[in-house]
Amino acid sequence: MRRLGILAFAMLLTLGAAGGAVAQAPIEGELALITPVSKFIHDAALKAFAEYAKEKWGVTLKVSAIPAGTPVAYGRIVEWKGKPEVDIFWGGESALFEKLTEQNLLQKVEISKEAWDSIPAAIGKPKPIPLKDKRGFWVGTALEPYGLVYHPKKIQRLGIPAPKEWDDLLHPKLKGEVAQCAPTRSSSSNATYEVILSMYGEEQGWAWLKKLAANTGHFTARSRDVPTVVAKGEYSAGFAVPSYMAFEEKLAGFDIKFVAPKNAFVTPEPMAILAGARNPRAARAFIEFLLTERGQRVFMERGLFPITPKYRVQGAPGSTAELAVEFTGGVRSYFDAEVSNVYDEGVAAKRSDDLKKKYRSDIEATWKKP
Amino acid sequence: MSEGEAVGAARHPARPAAGRFAAALPALGVVLIWFFLLLFLVYPLVRIFYDAFSDEAGRFTVANFVEFARDPFYLRSLVNSILLGLGTVAATSVLGFAIAFLLVRCDFAGRNLFSYLTLIPIISPPLVGVLGFTFILGRAGTVNVLLEDYFGLTKPVNFVYGLHGVLLVETLHLFPMITLNVVDALAKIDPSLEEAAEGVGARGWTKFRTITLPLTTPGYLAGALLVFIWTFSDFATPLVLGVHDLLASQAYLNIVQFVDRRLFRMGIVISALMVVLAVVFLIAARQYVAIKDYSSLSYSRIARVRLSPVQQAGVIAFLSGVMLLSFIPYLGVALASVGKGWSLTPFPVHYTLQYFERVIVETPKYIVNSFLYAALAVVLCVAVGVPIAWILARTHLPGRGTLDALNTLILAIPGTAIGIAYVRAFHFDLPGFDRGLTSFWIILPLVLAIRRLPYTVRGSYASLLLVHRSMEEAAASVGARGLRSFSDVTLPLIWRGVLVGSLFSFMTSLQEASAVLFLSLGGWETITVGIFSFYIAGSANEAAALGVILIVVATVSLVAINRIAGTRMGGMFG
Repeated sequence: MRRLGILAFAMLLTLGAAGGAVAQAPIEGELALITPVSKFIHDAALKAFAEYAKEKWGVTLKVSAIPAGTPVAYGRIVEWKGKPEVDIFWGGESALFEKLTEQNLLQKVEISKEAWDSIPAAIGKPKPIPLKDKRGFWVGTALEPYGLVYHPKKIQRLGIPAPKEWDDLLHPKLKGEVAQCAPTRSSSSNATYEVILSMYGEEQGWAWLKKLAANTGHFTARSRDVPTVVAKGEYSAGFAVPSYMAFEEKLAGFDIKFVAPKNAFVTPEPMAILAGARNPRAARAFIEFLLTERGQRVFMERGLFPITPKYRVQGAPGSTAELAVEFTGGVRSYFDAEVSNVYDEGVAAKRSDDLKKKYRSDIEATWKKP
Repeated sequence: MSEGEAVGAARHPARPAAGRFAAALPALGVVLIWFFLLLFLVYPLVRIFYDAFSDEAGRFTVANFVEFARDPFYLRSLVNSILLGLGTVAATSVLGFAIAFLLVRCDFAGRNLFSYLTLIPIISPPLVGVLGFTFILGRAGTVNVLLEDYFGLTKPVNFVYGLHGVLLVETLHLFPMITLNVVDALAKIDPSLEEAAEGVGARGWTKFRTITLPLTTPGYLAGALLVFIWTFSDFATPLVLGVHDLLASQAYLNIVQFVDRRLFRMGIVISALMVVLAVVFLIAARQYVAIKDYSSLSYSRIARVRLSPVQQAGVIAFLSGVMLLSFIPYLGVALASVGKGWSLTPFPVHYTLQYFERVIVETPKYIVNSFLYAALAVVLCVAVGVPIAWILARTHLPGRGTLDALNTLILAIPGTAIGIAYVRAFHFDLPGFDRGLTSFWIILPLVLAIRRLPYTVRGSYASLLLVHRSMEEAAASVGARGLRSFSDVTLPLIWRGVLVGSLFSFMTSLQEASAVLFLSLGGWETITVGIFSFYIAGSANEAAALGVILIVVATVSLVAINRIAGTRMGGMFG
């Protein structure tokens, strides 16, 4: 009887274990994103996660991404009306994530407490930039400054000092030599316009932006085109460029420089799981993975910065991580020193529509190619 | 013969059910064709007009058009678009007519080679073609770098950024459309007409003006209309060149930004307006002369003027110059597909195959998808287009005129507009599914099939006219009726025309970008969507590598078409 009992107990255990494994069927076999974060980053992140899923759960994951500018991505999510074609929305300004939350188009990320707690609530002074949503609908993944870029050879030919601050882009010799993207089409441009308006005040801010437009030779269709035309040498300098986009050009073999001037906006590249997502467990596992050291390294080797103070961009001499540090001006972590920020979420959200309207009427409609 | 009739008569009573079915089949086919056109062409167009004339709550309003008319920026875009379209037509006409005349009427060394080369600009792939231009003629392009490095120029010359650049790029891309149509028309002119003109003393300009020009006008107008609509609806070229005050650019930019619902609707309004304008131009052109000119299908023997060596040298220099210019994008794309970190040097300094490796090995889906969708689209085109051609050529069914008009209308609809129309029209949940047609990849071959239908219809129609009715009558007299006579007699005789039309549809489907761009979802990407997404992602080199692949595929198709069709390619565009 006792032996029988032990046997039965053992059988139960086995069953239990098997049942547990089934119940915990770790993740679905697919994961899809919509994101303004460029292929350079999202491809690498998805690939790293697919490898991780294979190692950890033996799941062969089918990953895909719809690359779309922030406004497009947002618009498509709204159009999908809670029946999304993808699982995750990644990147862009956090204000849009708030708007999606209000429309019940997001679900809580619900990642492990440890992963959640590893991210500080906010960064930056005098205005704090939130790095995760208080209610738990989105979470930051990496830190990324929107700075300026320039082509050293072109700048040298023009005989002007290398630009370091926003004001340097107004140099008279840069007339027709600046490239930028319209704030109506790019979140990095929108955020940087907002930074300028916060720095100089509404009136002087617009005067400044008009001067920049007068120096602008090319309004690109997308923000990603700005570093491209500068790297190629078509134009000498570019305004409001995410660090990794410039670094991608550097890695592609171009001679391009990046600077994050004072008050450059730093985005946490928010990530959220869409309500009605077909692969919620894979989505959750993806976010948790990105917050591990292995996940953060994907970013750190591509010109982005860790979202948590736990890690710093570091690598063997000559590694891409070290190249990234050198490229972005020696910064290894945005938690090492105080981040100066004037971008206020509330103000930005309120001003957003007016900013675009004023851009359309005062800059787009009147701009003439110099 | 009487025996045949006897056999036929004997057969029918034996299988009455099958007979009735066979009799009902053509009727069913006609219904299906109409259903297809109504669902996939008429309904989506109605839908964007509904959107354009309603507000967010679905109430009727003309406010959107009032807003358009009051916005100086939109009005400027409208004027620019029309001017650009007309300017391109004028420029391509001069170039296209001159080249066609030289190719058809004159004999000089390399004439055959040049008539092949003239086709090449047409296959310039979307987006990368213009990128190719910027690589060579941009501010940091080869030409400017050479001027700066060796001729002491201090500021780069702005060859391409601006409206003039769009005009240049479109002209060098589209002049073959005029050339092909005019060549086709010139080849059909009976030499006796011109001889008669000469007989009454009309020579040179008078002969050209009174005989040659009127006879080539229908073919020329068909080409001109295509040039106009193409330029009018192309948004990729102006966007790369930083020109935003055009209707196509505004439609695209407004629609791809979804956040501002008002702007989004304006994008739809602009698309609707583009359809209206394109149709107006189509009607205007038709008013002037019946665009379809199939009246003379026989090609006349042409007497060519043998040019003196000096004249030959002049002609060859002119043609070589034009070809050289129109090869700029190919040179640029080819260099970018293998050049690494190319900046401020005339040619790339470092070369690599990594971009080809990436697009072929890592992302073969672009190529696989492109071929799959284009092939399916062609199957649909043939299934719908050949019967339409047959209805037009052989029957007196009611609605033929409408069928013909719809078929011509397709040529006038800008790709962007039809893409948007599909997004708006097919998003509702399909019965039995919890997603709309927009969630299934089959929508891409469907939209391609609609876009390319006219080529198949035209190709088949022209061939059908060549098949004399007596052949079918002979078949009928031996008892083969309806479908049987079609499959046994007509089809074998027209397959060449169908094949040419199909190959042309296939090639142009591979190159379609504007309509599929809005509809493509992750995993469905075609080569052209891949070009866009690589370009958007900042990898112009990978985009260029895909462009090279597209160019190769298109060249092969074009050579095949040319082999089969001979000089008759021009008929495709009309």
